[in-house]
Amino acid sequence: MIEFRDVQYRVGGISILKDINLTIPDGVFAAIIGPNGAGKSTLIKLLLGMQDPSEGKILIDDSPRDSWLKHNGFGYLPQREEYDRGFPATALDIVLMGIAGRIPWGRRVGDEHRERALSIMQDTGIIDKAHSPIGNLSGGEFQRVMLSRAILSDSKYLILDEPEAGIDRHSVVSFFKLLKELNDAGKTVITVSHDLHTLNKYSNFLICLNKTLHCHDHSELIDQQLIDKTFDEHTRLIEKDY
Amino acid sequence: MPGFIIVALIGAILSGISLAVFAPYVTLRRISYMGEALSHIAFAGIAIALISGMNLTLGAWIFVSIVALLISWLSRKEKIQEANTITIFLSLSMALGIILISLSKNYAFDLSSYLFGNVLLISISEVWALGILNVLNILFILIFYKELFYLSYNPEMAKVFRIRATFIDYLFYLLLAANIVLNLKSAGIILVTAQLILPAVIAFNLASRLGWIILISAIAAVLSALIGFYLSFVFDLPTGATIVIVQASMYALSFIFKRRK
Repeated sequence: MIEFRDVQYRVGGISILKDINLTIPDGVFAAIIGPNGAGKSTLIKLLLGMQDPSEGKILIDDSPRDSWLKHNGFGYLPQREEYDRGFPATALDIVLMGIAGRIPWGRRVGDEHRERALSIMQDTGIIDKAHSPIGNLSGGEFQRVMLSRAILSDSKYLILDEPEAGIDRHSVVSFFKLLKELNDAGKTVITVSHDLHTLNKYSNFLICLNKTLHCHDHSELIDQQLIDKTFDEHTRLIEKDY
Repeated sequence: MPGFIIVALIGAILSGISLAVFAPYVTLRRISYMGEALSHIAFAGIAIALISGMNLTLGAWIFVSIVALLISWLSRKEKIQEANTITIFLSLSMALGIILISLSKNYAFDLSSYLFGNVLLISISEVWALGILNVLNILFILIFYKELFYLSYNPEMAKVFRIRATFIDYLFYLLLAANIVLNLKSAGIILVTAQLILPAVIAFNLASRLGWIILISAIAAVLSALIGFYLSFVFDLPTGATIVIVQASMYALSFIFKRRK
């Protein structure tokens, strides 16, 4: 279970996140929605320990975030990952990053780790690129590599920041289906997404954010009223034809 | 061949290897100017050691290590670009060094030997020190191979995936500082800077796996030390500068064999 208690986040006196009180129960497929600049990625970075709240507490499984992070980790898919396209790594190397922190110093990545990574890459549909240099991968292919890495990390929490970015429309559905399978298998999925229609199908816990929280609850349906409230504007729920 | 030449040759080879195994990491992390910067920063360390009567190498290593750790910490903490932090410390250390040397009464300090180095003056004890440093370097890379790989790829993500990047980053800078300072007397700023980039870029043109890149980088350093040494001996040229020219020529040649990636 993840809890944000009275979390504030400010940069140079400007409030980025305000009065965040949020409990995300285990096993949900949570969707964070909100307009650009709403603080969605910041909320995730606070959770991951990449940034510290200006005030308030974050508890994970009833432990303060930093002490939880000493013994546990998140499966994370960032919105963008900075890397040098000439870096001498294959797609498989990047996937194996998900497990590298759990292998003791002085030990190399073993065959059993490689096999597990390859089997995940099979599920995410990127197996044929496993031995390609990362510089040769398209944006969508790299997104699948990052998803495979997040899954390989074997965390009970899977955190995704706009996973559909860079993926063609047809692949988005299979991507979310895979997330749903992982969720059904017991993982808590927390995803930032702009694809409201697809979210509506798969997500069962909605977090509407626009610097403050507008809703955070189990939800069967994302309705237009809620969208208006969060986005401060008329954003239509468009039925995408996949 | 006179004994001191053999000692100098072994010294040049060990010096080349010690920097060349670090060079791929320095290049991948885009901190290749770190060699030049830390060499200049060592100047203030040498000046402090001169004034306090401390051993010059030890004084320089302590000072460079402190500044290198500060650079690493500040870049992480304040999210300042590493290049900016390094430049700030470089200017500050040079200024401090110049003031301290002008204040000290030790006019015997030879600035040109510091800039260009003189491998022929290397002592047996310094060759031993370089040998030990090489063992430490290789152990460091073998033990932390995967951690260094992911730290070079993306330190922020390495941390998210629980790779203990901060601790290894500090060790990396401490060892880099030791490599630069120990090589400064024999190699000088120019060769230290060259050795921290040229063997690596040669290797990047020839291989695409990091393990091979490190190995080829070390081989390139040994070859250039041997050829450079021979040429400088035959044509009576400054050794350090000749090694740099040989390495730069090898780099140009490596484009012929550059793999299609």
